[in-house]
Amino acid sequence: MMTTLRYGVFAAAAASLGLLSFLVLRTLTFGRRRLHSQARGNRAGGVAYAFGRGMMPWEKESARKHLPTYAAGMIYHAGIFAAILYALLLAASVSPDGAVLAVFRALMAAGFAFGAGLLLKRILKPAMRYLSCPDDYLSNVLVDLFVLSGLLASFLRAAVPVFFALAVLTFLYMPLGKIRHCFFFFYSRILFGSYFGRRGVLPHPPRRGA
Amino acid sequence: MSAPPTVSDPLAEKIRALTEEDLRTILAVFREKLRAEDAAYLNTCVHCGLCAESCHYHLATGEPEAMPAAKLDLVSRVFKSHFFRTGKALAGLVGAEKLSRELVGEWIDSLFGRCTLCGRCTLSCTMGINIFSLIRAARSALAAVGLVPPGLQSTVDTAIRTGNNMGVSKENWLETVAWLEEEARAELGDPTVRFPIDKRGARILYTINPREAMFFPLSISAAGKIFHAAGEDWTFSSENFDVTNYGLYNGDDEAAGIMSGRLVRAVEELGCRELILAECGHGFNSNRWEAPEWLDRAYGFPVRSILELVAGYVRDGRVRLDPSLNPKRHTLHDPCNLVRLGGIVEEQRFILKRAVRDFVEMIPNREKNFCCGGGGGQLAMTNFAKRRLETGKIKADQIRAAKAEVVVTPCHNCIDQLMELNKHYRLGIEIKTVCEVAAEALVFETRPSAGLPG
Repeated sequence: MMTTLRYGVFAAAAASLGLLSFLVLRTLTFGRRRLHSQARGNRAGGVAYAFGRGMMPWEKESARKHLPTYAAGMIYHAGIFAAILYALLLAASVSPDGAVLAVFRALMAAGFAFGAGLLLKRILKPAMRYLSCPDDYLSNVLVDLFVLSGLLASFLRAAVPVFFALAVLTFLYMPLGKIRHCFFFFYSRILFGSYFGRRGVLPHPPRRGA
Repeated sequence: MSAPPTVSDPLAEKIRALTEEDLRTILAVFREKLRAEDAAYLNTCVHCGLCAESCHYHLATGEPEAMPAAKLDLVSRVFKSHFFRTGKALAGLVGAEKLSRELVGEWIDSLFGRCTLCGRCTLSCTMGINIFSLIRAARSALAAVGLVPPGLQSTVDTAIRTGNNMGVSKENWLETVAWLEEEARAELGDPTVRFPIDKRGARILYTINPREAMFFPLSISAAGKIFHAAGEDWTFSSENFDVTNYGLYNGDDEAAGIMSGRLVRAVEELGCRELILAECGHGFNSNRWEAPEWLDRAYGFPVRSILELVAGYVRDGRVRLDPSLNPKRHTLHDPCNLVRLGGIVEEQRFILKRAVRDFVEMIPNREKNFCCGGGGGQLAMTNFAKRRLETGKIKADQIRAAKAEVVVTPCHNCIDQLMELNKHYRLGIEIKTVCEVAAEALVFETRPSAGLPG
């Protein structure tokens, strides 16, 4: 049973990677936009901005105005990545211990807490409910359970099969719903940076009062 | 999730009469407009809602329908249902929805009536989704079956039919230029002042917003005076002078290409070396960035904003400005299409800081500035006028906070909206273009006598 689950984790992760890559490639069937206008700025600079300064709260108004949510999101994602890595390590029969295990536990505990917090926000705020479809709830619940099971598995050996099973489910669901943004985030940020970089809008020199 | 459509009357009957064939046409055109970039964006939104406050519609009204993510969702539901399916069983789960008459009604109400295509939400989006380009693609699809709000469509139709969006006749245009030339000569006391028309081989072809010819001739004479002071070799075209392009807003790429193509033809036929665009935000974005794509060709000449040109004059010492001639407190409204989407960010500041004694920035400013509320074709769509004025409150508040007497903006579309906001919110401000302010600060060898028209 455990062996099957171990292989299942790797198989599901591989399937997920394959499907996500397929989805990204599928967008190319729409054809790339041909640009004839003369560039004014620098695409590479724009992309660097998109992944660097452009994500900072002092630069991004939405992050600044929603600092708790933005921070919660960051911690949530750190917890998710920790849980994924922990699942792959355990499946490979590598059991972190000591300080490394403590870091995994801290990240997964915080990730679960903030993930659950974001789910509550989605449920309680009318504007968020208006915006949400079933996938928004399901994705959040599934990932929260996965992270929580990882945390439990780090304490209880008996919880490891549940952790593996949830890892398989999460990996398989990734390409189907909004969790596909784990790939598309990078795609879109590159496009964002290219667009504004090429037009000479971003990056701009640091300034005050803007 | 679905709100009942509140489509204004002009299009309600058309929506009811939509056939299945019409719906297929909308889908086909929508699909044709989408590129890989758009498909990527449409797979990215996680409904985090952090974009909400970036939109002046949502800020002013609090309506959930006005959240950028909600507007994007109207588009992505159709995309997921028709063009990027993940299986029938998952359609409801991921919010996919087939295009229907009801959804078309929501598209019109939100994508035309709750969006100025200002792009501010894109800067705030955690993912960086280019929401305005997706909304424009949906507008294109609606345009294909005649579902553009009538005021906006008639602006495009007038431009296609007459050569400019105000229907200014060639005769009136030539008379206006001759009159302004005469006035400038009198004001400057210089008989050599020329406002040339169709001058072959002139270095630059200059364009205008036809509203300048009809209602704001001071803008034209301001540019002419600056060209004169700089010793520029320039010309207007007698036929193709309209910098505006409302095809950007109704989404009709073919019409947009016809309008921008006229300016390209004028430059090439007159043998000019550069196309200089007047102070018009969407005209700049259209002709500088979008038109080469609409026309599917690169140009053999540069396309620049007059702000780039004038900033160059000042920098090179070709014109001298005296800020003491503009002693009032000035602030600057950044037009979205020129700044956030166009990249002309510092030139207007460079000019104004040398042309006025007291310059203060609005907060926020530059690419983070709020739309005035008049973009996206809103000024032409009278059926959404109430919303436009309501959402303009965000800009009105910004202006009040700046405590300026003069609001400067390099865009006649913005000027129209700011004039309405000035009246509606009793702001008590003067509104000018950058060239108007710069022209007032021009230093000539002999200063023109005061009191003369100009």
